[in-house]
Amino acid sequence: MHVRLAQPSRGERGLTARRARTPLLILLGPFLAAGVGTACTRTAPPADDVRVEWRVTPSPAQVGPATLRLFLIGADGAPAAGARLAIEGHMTHPGMAPVTADVRETDPGVYEAALRFTMAGDWVLVLDGALADGRRLRRQLAISGVGAAP
Amino acid sequence: MLQLSSLPAGPASRVDVLRWPVLGRFLRWRHARRTVQTALLAVAVVVVGHGFSGPDLAPQNLGTVLTWVHYRGLLIVALLAAGNLFCLGCPFILVRDAARRLHAPRRAWPRALRSKWTAVALLVLVLFAYELFDLWARPAGTAWLVVGYFAAAVAIDLVFTGAGFCKYVCPIGQFNFAASTISPLEIRVREPSTCQSCATVDCIRGRREPGRPEVVTRRGCELHLFLPSKTGNLDCTFCLDCVQACPHDNIALAARAPGAELTDDGPRSSIGRPSRRTDLAALAVVFTFGALLNAFAMTSPVHALERWLAAQLGTTSEVLVLAIVFVVALAAAPLVLLGGASLLTARTTPAAERPTAATTFRRFAAALLPLGFALWLSHYAFHLLTGVLTIVPVAQSAARDVLGWAVLGGPWWTWVGMRPGSVLPLQLGVVVLGAFGSMAVAYAIAGREHPAAAARAALPWAAVILLIAGVSMWVFLQPMEMRGTSLAG
Repeated sequence: MHVRLAQPSRGERGLTARRARTPLLILLGPFLAAGVGTACTRTAPPADDVRVEWRVTPSPAQVGPATLRLFLIGADGAPAAGARLAIEGHMTHPGMAPVTADVRETDPGVYEAALRFTMAGDWVLVLDGALADGRRLRRQLAISGVGAAP
Repeated sequence: MLQLSSLPAGPASRVDVLRWPVLGRFLRWRHARRTVQTALLAVAVVVVGHGFSGPDLAPQNLGTVLTWVHYRGLLIVALLAAGNLFCLGCPFILVRDAARRLHAPRRAWPRALRSKWTAVALLVLVLFAYELFDLWARPAGTAWLVVGYFAAAVAIDLVFTGAGFCKYVCPIGQFNFAASTISPLEIRVREPSTCQSCATVDCIRGRREPGRPEVVTRRGCELHLFLPSKTGNLDCTFCLDCVQACPHDNIALAARAPGAELTDDGPRSSIGRPSRRTDLAALAVVFTFGALLNAFAMTSPVHALERWLAAQLGTTSEVLVLAIVFVVALAAAPLVLLGGASLLTARTTPAAERPTAATTFRRFAAALLPLGFALWLSHYAFHLLTGVLTIVPVAQSAARDVLGWAVLGGPWWTWVGMRPGSVLPLQLGVVVLGAFGSMAVAYAIAGREHPAAAARAALPWAAVILLIAGVSMWVFLQPMEMRGTSLAG
């Protein structure tokens, strides 16, 4: 059975500026969010003059307990001692349980954290804390390919 | 008065959600859809905004958490519990409707594109892009995907009348249509005899202003589903336009047996006979095998497979390796398995009446859908159940970043969800149920098409279904390994 569908009437084509305001806002909403979001996008973090080097044991990393060793080196090349730091470990997939660990200083500028990788895959460790002089230190350490438990 | 020669058969359901005291009143309210759409538009704005401006670590970004944990999970749970609620609340269409108030489309959707092929190809493309670009790990990538959907819906539906984007393009829509064949609710006519005396067919033409028939006061079905001959949920977005348009209040949101429509091959409004639609069969294949592939891609063995493939081919090209995996999973394997089942089933019929393998494939493809649904449910519900509470710390963190202080407290990063080990039995149980559902549908189709040898005709399909179910259970038992697909190291 054929049913003819009506075409839009003349009255439906175009509106006065006042009646167009609401549709315009709705139409533009997501795109404004995109524009504002990209404009406010993460700019590069302020250049921290503290260099962070790190090692994970066992290496390569695998599911289970692991030790993260951090070496903080100041701009002058001296160890950056006295920092108060914490580690959050996240898988790259959202919704997975993170792991957290406190970081303790074992030697001047040398820090250790005891972690437990709960799942194989790609992890990002977020190092967050404050240096001895109060400046904030934040880094993301990518650990790709944490292997399954032996 | 129009003579309606074919009305849907089957018992009228006594359960009509539109008659429920609170929920029914809300759904019959003319602004119900707009309300739900506005809420989801707000969510989409948050996804896009935080996706671009929030932390680039996916577990800490509302864009990725809301999309890949909550939206996907709630989508499939809603389809299981009710129906196509996320098409009902689609924010893309809200924006599109707003755009149409500024510029009305004039063209009809091209006849050559009036099939699901474009949408099936786009669904495959989205699944491919998801794996290639690790969209689950990329807040900005997720945001761009959402913006892309908005842009596509507006661009297409500003040119073409009706709901061409929904019916012929939107990958999420096609996923929802396929899955909603299992849903327990369906929009259908309440009393068929009322439609017999209806002269205005408002459900599809829209309700007109008295004396001015060119003015539509309530839109009719934009997907061209004529309610008296509509069967099932294919192509139904639950938009409720027909409910608003019907002057006789003769449309119900009725309860039904989940999956019952899969055994009904009668002609359906705007669809025809499903068994004659190769594109619908292809959608069922992509829906089911895509579910298996999507889950497999999160396990350890797939990375070993990709490394092996790359070594064999002497390449580090992710695109090439992933393309091979997709071709094998979505084309080669279905061709072998379903082609083989189709040939064997066809042979149960005497040679003189024997259908072709292609015809048999089209007839039986719908039997895949219950198992495909179960696989998506197992996968998406896993992420939802294990990560449902992560929205709390992520929202706390986002509020702190925006406002400069922890207005919502926390963030409580230990708030996650169920332990993965606790969800596994649910996943396996769902797969078993899905397999049973698929085998039941296959048997019913066999009884319809091969009545003299129904059991023998269904047997090859049962074997394929059990094989897919077995493989999927093996996948869910594998250790998860959520990695990017980089082959460079």
